[in-house]
Amino acid sequence: MSNLSQNQRGWTRARVATAFLVLTAAIACGLSIYSSASSLTGLSRTGFSVLFLPLLLSLVLAFLLDPPVTQLEKFFSRTGSIFIVYVLSLGLAFLAALWLTPHWQGFWDNMGTDFPRYTTRVIESVQNVVAALHDRFPVIESYNFPMKIRSWAEQLMAAMLAETPQSALKVGGLMIIVPLFTFFFLRDGRKIIRACVALSPNRYFEMVRDLSYLISRQLSHFVRGRILEALIVGMVITVGLSFTDIRYAPLLGIFAGVTNLIPYIGPIIGMVPGILIAFVDLGVSGQFWWIVILYILIAQVLIDNFILIPILISRVSNLHPLLVFFAIIVGGKLYGIIGMIIGVPIVSVIKITLLEVRTYRRTFRLPESALESDRPH
Amino acid sequence: MDPLWNNIFRKKLDEDSLAHFLKHLPIFLELSSRALTMLENVVHIRNYNANETVFEENDPGSGMYMIRSGMVKIYARDQNGTEHELATLSPGDFFGETTLTAPAPRSASARTMENTELVGLFRADILELAEKHPAVSSSILLGLTRVVSERLQAASLEIRRLQNQAGGHISPENVET
Repeated sequence: MSNLSQNQRGWTRARVATAFLVLTAAIACGLSIYSSASSLTGLSRTGFSVLFLPLLLSLVLAFLLDPPVTQLEKFFSRTGSIFIVYVLSLGLAFLAALWLTPHWQGFWDNMGTDFPRYTTRVIESVQNVVAALHDRFPVIESYNFPMKIRSWAEQLMAAMLAETPQSALKVGGLMIIVPLFTFFFLRDGRKIIRACVALSPNRYFEMVRDLSYLISRQLSHFVRGRILEALIVGMVITVGLSFTDIRYAPLLGIFAGVTNLIPYIGPIIGMVPGILIAFVDLGVSGQFWWIVILYILIAQVLIDNFILIPILISRVSNLHPLLVFFAIIVGGKLYGIIGMIIGVPIVSVIKITLLEVRTYRRTFRLPESALESDRPH
Repeated sequence: MDPLWNNIFRKKLDEDSLAHFLKHLPIFLELSSRALTMLENVVHIRNYNANETVFEENDPGSGMYMIRSGMVKIYARDQNGTEHELATLSPGDFFGETTLTAPAPRSASARTMENTELVGLFRADILELAEKHPAVSSSILLGLTRVVSERLQAASLEIRRLQNQAGGHISPENVET
């Protein structure tokens, strides 16, 4: 008690002033540290966003090319096998480009005339539907659907035209950076993982080593499975479309394959341009229905759901549809269309990691819990 | 020759190299030099202080440790938490080899007694090696199997000797191997 009263008596003016000064200085220091820290995180975020896409693409490529490199490694050195795989895949890419270039050129040349034609045709049919609906629900008169579709389509066209040179530049940059990164990931990937694992403390080293192996195995299965699935679906659609008179069959096939990387929503987005073009060019004919059946029944239900997904994709990486929507929305917000495509795989990767850790914990008790239960009570 | 040049061109002292250490372990006695170089690239060198826990009983076990320098105590705890020493291991000894191929909880605890350098070989490394170089990994696993079977044989002989000593007091069903 006496101590307290002494303290109370000790609050002289000088002390109050000092306390005030110290507090002010502390707050100022805190604020300055906070602001510099946030500018640091801002800097690192900018740096990271530049590296994000090339790093991700190189990792995916490294996962894809690792099995053939490992197979060749039985006969050649690691670097030699990587070079052989590189030469082979460059040849394949060159052939694919040779086959695709005329289609792409035709698409680009006709785009200016075709795109307005497609939109006009769609708007016409929407107008018909709206007119039919208007008879029953007079309220919808106030919504101008056709105008909205027209402005939306024009915006899309303008965006595509404006984005193309930019994205061509980006793609050009990526074509140099990604093979370089991939080479190093392929050659030194194991060493990089080993170095990271070696950082863990002695007590947890064994567990970290085991987990890193399990997780990287699951991840490579997942990435390879997804890419193979997209490739096969794209090929099936290309082949199926080439039986009809539809134009741009290879491009539509590639589009369907790429969008197939997004679960649930991707296939629907992938079939929209194909069905739209078929509807406008071929009318509601036998070929149109064949294309619809090809997209929905053959590619999606038969090939993808019944054959590919059970074989290639383990149930481990299946995500709840709601989570898929979240991933697509957040990915789209952060990185645009590419974000939409890679959002879902990234969430799957996180899920795989968590699940592996959980199974590991179930199979064995973790060191801490083992220690606690062993301790005498 | 100039000692300076001598030093540069001479390889690292043979006795100091990791390959030399591995070659003289009973598990890897019959490995070719190519296999030894590959083994050298997959093992992990870990440095421990004195009295540091390597693993505890019931920890998830996924590999074996070889002692390059220092001492390791292997012990078990009874229900009261008192430690019972099972063995003291010195350089050249190895432990934990039973969990290398089959995932199982550790059956005893291990702790360093002085500053110790351990060389770890884990299941993940063996599995990765098996993908790329099946022949090398199978010769490593053969060596491991040989050592484990020798120990198993010695253990069963010991059990039989103890059974005879006990004069039939213990029936074979009660013996846990």
